[in-house]
Amino acid sequence: MNDSMLTLDDVHTHIGQHHILQGVSLSVNPGGATILLGRNGAGKSTTLKTIMGLYPASKGSIRFKGEKIHREKTHKIARMGMGFVPEDHAVLFNLTVEENFRLSMVEETETTRQNLEDVLELFPALRKFWKTKAGLLSGGQKQMLAIARVFVCDHSLLLIDEPSKGLAPIVVDQLGEALLRIKDKTKVILVEQNFNLACQVGTDCFILDDGQVVFHGMIDELAKDKPMMKAYLGI
Amino acid sequence: MKSKANTMAGLGLLLMPLIWIDPVTYLTLTVAGLSLGMLIFLIASGLTLIFGLMDVLNLAHAAFFAFGAYMGYTVLYLFNSWGWIEGASLWGSLWFLVVALGTAGLVGALLGVITERLVIQRVYGDHLMQLLVTVGVSFVMVEILKIIWGVNDEVVPIPLAFQDSFIIYGVFVEYFRVVAILLGVLVFAVLQFMLKKTKIGIIVRAGVENREIVQTTGYNINRIFTMVFALGAAFAAIGGTMMAIFNQAVDPGMGDQFLIFALIVVIIGGMGSVTGSFVGAIIVGLSFNYVAYLVPKMALGVNFMIMAIILLIRPKGLFGKE
Amino acid sequence: MIMDSGMTDKMAVNDHTLSKENVPALTSLDTFRIGIVILMGLVPFIFPSFRVMDVMAKIMIFTLVVASFDLLLGYTGILSFAHGMFFGIGAYSVALILYHTAAPAWYHIIIAILISLVVSIGLSLVISFFSLRVKAIFFAMLTLALAEFAHILGVQWTSLTGGEDGISFTLPWIFNFNHTFGTVWHTQINGRLVVYFLILFSTLFLFAGLVRFTRSPVGRVLQSIRDNEQRAVALGYQTFRYQIYSIVFGSSVASLGGILFAMWLCYVNPDSVFHTAIMVNILLMVLIGGMGTLYGSVIGAAFLIITENWLPQLLKSAAELVPQSHVIQVLADRWQLYFGILFVLVVLFFPKGVLGTIRAHYRQRVIESESIENQLK
Repeated sequence: MNDSMLTLDDVHTHIGQHHILQGVSLSVNPGGATILLGRNGAGKSTTLKTIMGLYPASKGSIRFKGEKIHREKTHKIARMGMGFVPEDHAVLFNLTVEENFRLSMVEETETTRQNLEDVLELFPALRKFWKTKAGLLSGGQKQMLAIARVFVCDHSLLLIDEPSKGLAPIVVDQLGEALLRIKDKTKVILVEQNFNLACQVGTDCFILDDGQVVFHGMIDELAKDKPMMKAYLGI
Repeated sequence: MKSKANTMAGLGLLLMPLIWIDPVTYLTLTVAGLSLGMLIFLIASGLTLIFGLMDVLNLAHAAFFAFGAYMGYTVLYLFNSWGWIEGASLWGSLWFLVVALGTAGLVGALLGVITERLVIQRVYGDHLMQLLVTVGVSFVMVEILKIIWGVNDEVVPIPLAFQDSFIIYGVFVEYFRVVAILLGVLVFAVLQFMLKKTKIGIIVRAGVENREIVQTTGYNINRIFTMVFALGAAFAAIGGTMMAIFNQAVDPGMGDQFLIFALIVVIIGGMGSVTGSFVGAIIVGLSFNYVAYLVPKMALGVNFMIMAIILLIRPKGLFGKE
Repeated sequence: MIMDSGMTDKMAVNDHTLSKENVPALTSLDTFRIGIVILMGLVPFIFPSFRVMDVMAKIMIFTLVVASFDLLLGYTGILSFAHGMFFGIGAYSVALILYHTAAPAWYHIIIAILISLVVSIGLSLVISFFSLRVKAIFFAMLTLALAEFAHILGVQWTSLTGGEDGISFTLPWIFNFNHTFGTVWHTQINGRLVVYFLILFSTLFLFAGLVRFTRSPVGRVLQSIRDNEQRAVALGYQTFRYQIYSIVFGSSVASLGGILFAMWLCYVNPDSVFHTAIMVNILLMVLIGGMGTLYGSVIGAAFLIITENWLPQLLKSAAELVPQSHVIQVLADRWQLYFGILFVLVVLFFPKGVLGTIRAHYRQRVIESESIENQLK
């Protein structure tokens, strides 16, 4: 338990009058990519946002690197080394690509500048549109930028919410490659509907249903467990 | 091409009063108009900053302005009571001005922080609530102002050096007008630089668009918004002190009178555009002076006419986006 | 132009639940309303003091003005700071006509009403035309600038308006305060009493008109536009036209309220009818009563005008208890400060107002009892 990087213990979250998370408990070890699976409305995104402090947990505790974080402000959690990529091409449309990157560098140091070079190597298209407003990029480019933004800083944990949503298959492949390269460097928690992508990237996985964890195991085990897949994922 | 044509049309309009006014008077009026315009810009810039960046229309702006005017008045009054103002040299007067503006700016910023923390933070994203609550705050602040300084008009002691003028091509130019113009341009430059080039500008612009991303990147957006609000309030207060010196008088209702100018400027320029406010303020200042000379009774009305015409052609204002 | 729907849902309470129940028979609420009207009519006979009558007349006038403002703010979702200006236009049109005519007769009042209506309708059309298509904030700014302009005009156009000193005038015909018709129940029936009843009946008539308007098909469309403009557009309504109806109607009623106000006081000056403080008062009354309730305007107006009349005295006598403290004397003097603080607090913590809160509570109970019934089935 103690060596886990992130632990959620019986976390409840209310949004307005809706009781979304109804006691989520999970723990994530360093290394590799952990996938959150589940139907629409199962509470995957809410789990990520609760971890990030965007929604207050009404009950339960969250520990990150051994410290309780469920009462912390979002920006403090972020500074502890947690990165977050929200869903739906979360870039700042009115800022240029350059400014998007500058924003993501909380401190502009040698390391972050070096990271930026590496990231641009990974996504050469972004260098081409360096001075373009992010709102004018294509859907795939926006998603690349959204992910690339987070790589610039050295995070110890990345929360990525449905990066493949609404992208063309060829772009999804590119994305998969990028994700594979990150997970070697940084621990990733990935919410993903695209099961193929999830299998390609992920090591272990949790399935959420109705605001609770209903399954935890290695992702290749899950792939063989057809009844489980049908019951909770409809595949 | 189109922008060139627009610029030409603008210049043409600018020179049009020459048909009725002789050149020397025209230049005098132009200098007066520019300085008035820059003073209005100081007020409008705070309004634009708060509106354009934070999407909050702050009607308490007039109250920050009035507080600033009274703070400046108080500082000058104290200096005067120690006998420093009367015979001060131009440079000495400038120092006094800097102290007065600094005090006003600090008080304005402080009031801004208090207002933002107590009131504005509760109504982000809700325009109707913002309008209502800031009207209330403005009312309260003016009442407090009356408690502190009384309800009567006060005369502001002005360094004589500011009233002196120099002659250039036969045109009398008061030193204070030059100071006003320089200060306006300086503020404009600083704001443009801050918003376009610096990190803080990026963060603030990003925060307006998507608070969540900025927070999850690791910035304390609440503190940054408080700072922006305080800066806007400080500009209003500085504008207040400048206007107090310009008019050589302060009264508790002065905020409301100049809020009209600021509102017209922001509407003409396009909401949220600092450049728009700058251009709008120049238009308002100049046309006010030209028309006040030609048809004194029309002076305020002409600004409304300009506003109406610009709204007809460009409903979002000159530099408004969307 | 229209405020975000989420916010209006939060702040305005629909008339729906109450109106439905009122249709069949006289409810206790109706009896209560009729009782209030009768009481207003009896006031001059029960309390022969001018002070009480004055307060009552002002309550009625402001009920009308506030209700017409609520039509814009609560039912249409438009915040117009020019509403006080229309009130001032009405007041000044009657004042100017009666002041500038040598021997005013009864028809001069009719002329004043016509003029103020024409001016108000024309101006409100112009305002709507210029700014209804844009955002709420823009409309608010434009109307605020216009209202300030009207105030300045009132102060500076001295040849017409008499400037800051204002105009006092006498009413013609049976409204003249020196006219007496005899005594009833120890009370002298004079011109002032006639004006009082004119105010009572005009308010009643116009208020009923406002209530009818909000419940008419047009009023329903307005509320649907307020709640979700895109939906209304998608349903095929020309939202712009409906909003103009609302603005024109509301502004006209406000200017009629101004006429009554001027007739009651026989005196106007820019500060008493054009100043932003009037607008702040109207806003506060709407907020206290509850936006989107219409009847709340009675509560708001009564509360504010009664406190406005007696609070200063109360504070003064309280301050006399500690005559040596200068600070307390000054604080007692500036009673408007407490209104301002109240205003901010109401907006922040009590945005539904008195009637809105009561109705929300009532509706919640109806929903709860319905859900219990459903469960029982």
